[in-house]
Amino acid sequence: MMRDITLGQYYPVDSPIHRLDPRTKIILIFLYIIAVFLVPNLLMYIPVAAYLVLAAGLAKLPFSMLLRSLKPMRILLIITFVLNLFFATGTKKLLQIGGFVLWQEGLLTALTFSFRLILLVTGSSILTLTTSPVTLTDGLERLASPLKVIKFPAHEMAMMMTIALRFIPTLIEEADKIIKAQTARGADFETGNLMARARAMIPLLVPLFISAFRRAGDLAMAMEARCYRGGEGRTRLHKLAYGRGDLLAFLSILVLYAVILSTRML
Amino acid sequence: MPIVLEKLSHHYKSGPNTAVALEDIDLTIQDGELLALIGHTGSGKSTLAQHLNGLLEPTSGRVLLNGEDINQKGANRRALRFKVGLVFQYPEHQLFEETVYKDIAFGPKNMGLAEEEIDARVRGAMDRVGLEFEEMKDRSPFELSGGQMRRVALAGVLAMQPAVLVLDEPTAGLDPRARDYLLQDVKRLNEEGTTVVLISHAMDEVARLATRVAVLAHGKLVMEGPTAEIFVQQERLAQMGLDVPEAFKLALRLQQEGLNLGNHYRLSDIADGLAAAIKGGDTA
Repeated sequence: MMRDITLGQYYPVDSPIHRLDPRTKIILIFLYIIAVFLVPNLLMYIPVAAYLVLAAGLAKLPFSMLLRSLKPMRILLIITFVLNLFFATGTKKLLQIGGFVLWQEGLLTALTFSFRLILLVTGSSILTLTTSPVTLTDGLERLASPLKVIKFPAHEMAMMMTIALRFIPTLIEEADKIIKAQTARGADFETGNLMARARAMIPLLVPLFISAFRRAGDLAMAMEARCYRGGEGRTRLHKLAYGRGDLLAFLSILVLYAVILSTRML
Repeated sequence: MPIVLEKLSHHYKSGPNTAVALEDIDLTIQDGELLALIGHTGSGKSTLAQHLNGLLEPTSGRVLLNGEDINQKGANRRALRFKVGLVFQYPEHQLFEETVYKDIAFGPKNMGLAEEEIDARVRGAMDRVGLEFEEMKDRSPFELSGGQMRRVALAGVLAMQPAVLVLDEPTAGLDPRARDYLLQDVKRLNEEGTTVVLISHAMDEVARLATRVAVLAHGKLVMEGPTAEIFVQQERLAQMGLDVPEAFKLALRLQQEGLNLGNHYRLSDIADGLAAAIKGGDTA
């Protein structure tokens, strides 16, 4: 039951994309998202899709991993497609069934919106698949640190995110263990009506919360014992540094922009 | 109710990697025995324990309880779990009820027993682990000491009156006194007819209690036999990062000094041997 939850979906292999600076990847994804919205017509999704496939290929991600990232979106995708298909009006009839008219414009918008969604979701999943959560928050902290000038708690935010992310697998493991222990005492988590199931969660949730609080207390103690006092003047073990790969990555997105914008001009 | 493991293998999948936790384990757990399962951390002991009551399904191989495959279609796993009780590591982390009584009653209640029967079982289980019924029943399990909490958790499994009891490192993190109490409970249960599988790191514990020992290393069953025969092979155990009981080391040392008392692995046996040697004035 717990195995279905894949929050930390990091795919640990070594690849040029994995080695990129997290800041590069965050900025790139940002630019990529804008690029997806700039695409003027259906045909121009081809270079964007090609860019995506290239990135996924370089990152050594199996195709199935990208498909899996689309799975939670499938209902939204279908609704988007169907709504656009039938509620757009246009000038060229393609098909008429009873009162429903399928317009060419409708089909085109439906395809455009669906492709846009697919490209957005798979694109951002490449970021999370190739960047470990800790590196990701590290990058976010560095990107947000100029905001410290206006009292934005960049370090504290990043630390909270890191701790939260760090404890997700621990808590999943803990939940798994408690589920097993209660199952061994004959608890039944899978059958019964909604009320019965909600009640069946108590033997899981009470121990889980208690252990989460205990862990939080232990962690706070351990951090204090090592003199943690916030971000001020703190040096880091892994310094982020841009390399040649990052330069290439930035150049590649420029090329993508050039291709998209040139067709917009035409 | 013998449990037979036949060519049992278990693989864990995580991302692109597969980890082999257990490989081709053949092991029989006889009725009424006290089998100790020892091995280095990560040798697959806990994974093996979870196969005994069907919490984990083998990747390949079978688990037979009374000759029936517990993982076959239509097998009643819930009923099985009442026959094979599993006490996890740090079982006090599974306590959740407001009172000790209610927590121990959780298992029997899930069995669908009548109120009076549940009451009798809770009393019986508390008595067995040395918890005073009247004094403890209405207390919150969270205000107890670590050792008491563990006894409540153990009572929660005992109240189901399983024929086989599997204990995963039951004494980890307990102080010596709480540990001795718990081990005495386990020993008494076994003497009263419950089959016990004890997973442990502490060799002295194993030496004191177990009738038979199985050694796991890297997911494979590497040694198996009566307790004395296993601990004689000190060098092989050392290669696997395992120790022998202190008493056994003492017996070996005495042997080197020319006092052969045999391969004793219980301190009490050595004491008897020494006493006899001193009284007799001559070495055996």
